[in-house]
Amino acid sequence: MNFYDFHVHSEFSEGESSIEEITRRAKLLGYKGICFTTYLDNKNKIKKTKEIALNLSKKIGIEIFIGFEARNMSELEKLIKSRREYDVLLVKGSDLLLNRKAVETKEVDILTHPEYNRRDSGFNHVMAELATENHVAIEINFREILNSSKNTRANIMHKIKNNVVLCKKYRTPVIICSGAVTHWQLRDPKVLMSMGCLLGLELNETKKTISEVPENIIKMIKERRDEKWIRPGVKVVR
Amino acid sequence: MREKERYIAFQVISEEDEEFTYPDLESAIWNTMLDFLGEEGVSKTSVWLLKDCWDQKTQKGILRCNNKSVEEVIASLGLIDRLGDNRITFKILKISGTIKSIREKLC
Repeated sequence: MNFYDFHVHSEFSEGESSIEEITRRAKLLGYKGICFTTYLDNKNKIKKTKEIALNLSKKIGIEIFIGFEARNMSELEKLIKSRREYDVLLVKGSDLLLNRKAVETKEVDILTHPEYNRRDSGFNHVMAELATENHVAIEINFREILNSSKNTRANIMHKIKNNVVLCKKYRTPVIICSGAVTHWQLRDPKVLMSMGCLLGLELNETKKTISEVPENIIKMIKERRDEKWIRPGVKVVR
Repeated sequence: MREKERYIAFQVISEEDEEFTYPDLESAIWNTMLDFLGEEGVSKTSVWLLKDCWDQKTQKGILRCNNKSVEEVIASLGLIDRLGDNRITFKILKISGTIKSIREKLC
């Protein structure tokens, strides 16, 4: 089975470790591919990041993708316009309106931690239905759990469990990512799967969250790289 | 009634290949599990770090737990990010129902 981690920050965004350190650690832990996530401010660095990623991908033997994480509405709109320039579009959850916009948008691949910094879970049944319709995966962020403790961790896990219940009911894709900002925060795929089980997913569902769901996103990435692709659902036939 | 056991082989990956001793690791695992699962939760796992299977050179070891608590134990291992002043990560090598097959993997 192929495992993927689609939310990792390198030194080119808010991360501390270099792309090489992260890639080598991911290979050691048994991943087949990872996605380096960055912000719109670093768009001028994307060429350099892509170059390094391509060289490392060949050298180490791991698939590397480049993703952008939108932090607000204006960033999301700008990123949608330049959707062809990068592989994965993530939306940083927390604001309810932004969460809603993310699940309504076909171009978005992942809504990261919708419950982040909120008193509620930041996700509801209407959003779950929309996310299923538009193939937007809802992320369970391991770093959120790792970096918290005691009552904060309990609250975060409670909110994630609520979101998992909704996702299961509406068959919304769920993706578990490490959200690592250093290579020390990358976790073994089995650890992520076990955490998924504790958060209310069945064993076969947790396997899907780090293998099948990312593979579906990769399928979309490959479609998008095709010259005939115009926008989600539209491509040149002849 | 005798409960079914599972053995989890793991490797500790650390900065500059630091060599940790059995008591270091044992206390880190117990503290994290007690924090995360609570005393009652840990009592259900029957977790034990096998002393004679801990290899300080290769930093490989075996954890024993019951078959219903494998997920809890592995998730707890993932929450250990430091051992003393060193940053660490756990790599899960194999999960097995018999110690014989898991020893073959480690050797």
